[in-house]
Amino acid sequence: MSAKIPPSGPSPTESGRGTSSPYGSVVGVAARVLVGAVLVYAGATKAAGPAEEFAIVIGSYDLLPRDMVLTAATFLPWVEILVGWSLILGLKLRVAAAAAGSLFAAFLFALLTVKAKGIELPNCGCFGDGVHLTLTQGLIFDSALAALCWLAWRSSPARLSLDSWAEGGYTGRDHAKR
Amino acid sequence: MDRMTRLAVSAALVLAASAGSFLVARGRVKPYSPAAPGYRALGPADAKVTIVEFSDFECPACRVAEPPMRGILKLFDGKVRLVFKHFPLERMHKFARPAAIASECAGRQGKFWEFHHDLYDHQSEWPSEKFEERMAAYAKNAKLDLAAWSACRADPSADAAVSADVKDGENAWVGSTPTFFINGKRFVGAMQLSERGTPWIEKELKK
Repeated sequence: MSAKIPPSGPSPTESGRGTSSPYGSVVGVAARVLVGAVLVYAGATKAAGPAEEFAIVIGSYDLLPRDMVLTAATFLPWVEILVGWSLILGLKLRVAAAAAGSLFAAFLFALLTVKAKGIELPNCGCFGDGVHLTLTQGLIFDSALAALCWLAWRSSPARLSLDSWAEGGYTGRDHAKR
Repeated sequence: MDRMTRLAVSAALVLAASAGSFLVARGRVKPYSPAAPGYRALGPADAKVTIVEFSDFECPACRVAEPPMRGILKLFDGKVRLVFKHFPLERMHKFARPAAIASECAGRQGKFWEFHHDLYDHQSEWPSEKFEERMAAYAKNAKLDLAAWSACRADPSADAAVSADVKDGENAWVGSTPTFFINGKRFVGAMQLSERGTPWIEKELKK
């Protein structure tokens, strides 16, 4: 007579992360690469241009003190680029996904403030001089990307990532405990 | 390779990718000439401070920047040189290029600044179906030789001079007007010019 002993603890698929199924893994990688690529493109187009131009756009939101606007215009594009590449390459994935989510939440807050104040923006400043989005387009775009950040956050630990390589190979749930 | 080394290599990869994407977006830095014909310059040629202005006669923000610019020229009279470069934003302002050409032709008769002032002071009047009528009135105000001025406006060299300025502006990453370069440092719009331009000029003059 033998009795089957159930495995102790939740199975990997019960961890709530969805990273163990191939489907979840692919969705997670796609989400983080998509969000990362958008951030890199948005950041690089702005960083490549003059900060003074981007400062005009940031100033038109009327959210920051005037003496902080140029500093924000100088550094924000680089934050976008670094967070974007961290997502694409999967370095400190959860931190990068949370940072990206915070950026999109901040952008959404800025756009909603502009809408509430009735400010006419010449350009949302999302992609420098490249692509101009209307206020509504910006709100939809940023909301969708914020949702993808959540998928990217859930995808950690991920097989295709620098995190996995730095930690000595993908190890599923145990990997996250390290 | 231990864990810390792998993390350091990973961070270096992210930094390298970031720098690479910036360089790709920036492209090759193109030469930009701040020079313009003498009739589009004010102030001594050997001034310690040179302000290069890229501007569009039909642009409301450029009109707003006129009083602070005139104030700066008055405040630093004899110490500052202003060089005007055409940068008509043709996608938005359909009369901007013809106005730039008209002013260029006034300049060839030594009356650029008179025409320039009329264009900004009456900006609400001329970008309309009355364009030709208003231009002729400003030309008369400036006491231009009207026949020579009209012939110049049809001359491709006037249009080419405007295009050359636009190319210089594009090479200098001018994306909006007015953009000022004060001894090479960029200021965009009237607010940056008013708030940061004057202290910058004072600093440059003390050098």
